Amino acid sequence: MKRKLNVMMFSWEFPPRVIGGISPHMYFLSKSLAENGVKVHVVTCDFPGAPEYETIDGVEVYRIDSYKNPSPDFATWVYLMNLNMQKEAAAIASKLPDPIDVFHAHDWLVATAGIGLKHVFRKPLIVTMHSTEIGRRDGLHATTEHMIHETEAWLTYEAWRVICCSNYMMSHVKWAFGLPGDKLSMVPNGVNPHAYDRLENQDLSSFRLKFALPHEKIVLYVGRLVYEKGIHILINAVPKVLAKADAKFVIVGSGYMQEQLSNIVKSMGLEHKVLFTGFVDEENLLKLQKVADVSVVPSLFEPFGIVALEAMAAKSPVVVSDTGGLSEIVQHDVTGVKAYPNNTDSLAWGISKILTDDNYAKTIRENAYKIILEKYDWNKIAQQTRILYEAVLGEYSKSFWA
Amino acid sequence: MRVVIFCWEYPPRIVGKLADYVSNLATQLVKNKVAVHVVTYNDVMTGISEEANGVKVFRVDNPVRTHVNLLTWDLTLNQEAERAGASIYYQLRRKVDLIDVYDWHFIPAAVTIKNALGIPYVYSVDSLEDHRSPGADAPFNMAIRGIEWLGFFEAQKVTAKSEWMRSEIVRLYKVPAEKIAVTSPTAASWVKDVLAVYKSASGGSEAQ
Repeated sequence: MKRKLNVMMFSWEFPPRVIGGISPHMYFLSKSLAENGVKVHVVTCDFPGAPEYETIDGVEVYRIDSYKNPSPDFATWVYLMNLNMQKEAAAIASKLPDPIDVFHAHDWLVATAGIGLKHVFRKPLIVTMHSTEIGRRDGLHATTEHMIHETEAWLTYEAWRVICCSNYMMSHVKWAFGLPGDKLSMVPNGVNPHAYDRLENQDLSSFRLKFALPHEKIVLYVGRLVYEKGIHILINAVPKVLAKADAKFVIVGSGYMQEQLSNIVKSMGLEHKVLFTGFVDEENLLKLQKVADVSVVPSLFEPFGIVALEAMAAKSPVVVSDTGGLSEIVQHDVTGVKAYPNNTDSLAWGISKILTDDNYAKTIRENAYKIILEKYDWNKIAQQTRILYEAVLGEYSKSFWA
Repeated sequence: MRVVIFCWEYPPRIVGKLADYVSNLATQLVKNKVAVHVVTYNDVMTGISEEANGVKVFRVDNPVRTHVNLLTWDLTLNQEAERAGASIYYQLRRKVDLIDVYDWHFIPAAVTIKNALGIPYVYSVDSLEDHRSPGADAPFNMAIRGIEWLGFFEAQKVTAKSEWMRSEIVRLYKVPAEKIAVTSPTAASWVKDVLAVYKSASGGSEAQ
């Protein structure tokens, strides 16, 4: 192909709209693809104050009106939002000087837009499955959950290739939707280690004082306060850690379990040791990750575990539960500590080990940072993704759609 | 002229009076040398079939079986309608003159295909949400009205079956009256009227 590869990506979040891990993934993937000679058009939901159209680091970003129609519930909103996304994307794609070569959809939240445009333009659809409903809910229980699961199954069926960010997620997706192995590709998620560079030589001691007393070590949790993230396991581990080390637990994020969790903390009489910050902006989050003595990811279900990578990039030692993508990111005793999932004693042991053994913490921190630079670099990930696009286009060129 | 009709009911699937109406119209159109392709829903009969009257019917089923409401059912069925519509378009070497869409169910598909492939569509109104659910202002009903509004906004032409319906569309959706043609099925000139709308909407001459 003489001209640039032309890709249109769909996602329900892109900065400054940040809900979960898809938003930073979208930002870094599209930017790094642009740096690797791919023309990327991102179609995403609108956000107050963000323009409808802009070019960010070489990426064309289109934000569509996502609340055009009133919706009775979240799932219905998703499909109504897709109606508008699909219509706008159709208009954008048909007016581009070069045709779109590949559509790339991220999660079921943009399933119908991606599937519809694939057929209308007859171009291959690539899908990244960041998570699954059956994994998030630990099974399918309510009607909505079945509907979402079936939509995910349909999306992976329609996909030319399904990308997962970990080997764990590949086998999970293969099992959940009965996909053939050769339809799946593993491309890891990345992290930007340079985000922390400018904090390297800054004195953060007064910033640290906002969260903890000088003699307290900081145990950091970053994530939504929901069941699948295992935050309740960490809260239950607090007294066990405090028996070994003086620490302050800083819990960043919000979610439906917040009230329940703070009640547990109150009943333990440990309100002075556990701080719920709610959502924290990017600048403060980077600083917190930098000053944390240990970062904990106690997830019960974790397709990838980007928050562990971020901590490792910030040179904060990590304790993770040995599950999902986390099992692949962390090598026990080398780049972090692995605890048994859903096990308070094991998690408390891991945290205490890091807090009480400075040499151990230091080794882990250095090894982890080295791995980040070697394996989770966005430039390498973009190159892998580009090769995958080209492979799909090679197959496509031999099909009757070409 | 090559026309694709989108309608959520078509014999043998009969929900209301639209199925027979569209089936009659399609038969008449074929007699008037219009190549008619109907895209419709059926959960039992799927795929392409050519009917005795010369109408080609493309029946699609919803790939998602479990739903929380009619909207989620509709908004997942539309991609299959798009797949069918696009298949017809590519099989006819990209020569489809017009889409005729009945009521709100397949408005999303008509709007997407219009924007992607540049095929204009006529929105043929049988009934409106305001009449089906008078006074209902729940988000569910408002969303259906939103889809109807989008249908009117993006349509090349609108047809109503009576002067009364035409005035209702103007009253409820502020659609410019000249965009709406009345094609009454009881009038002797019914098929001629529909053909005139098709010609005008597809960029052909309005004269017969």
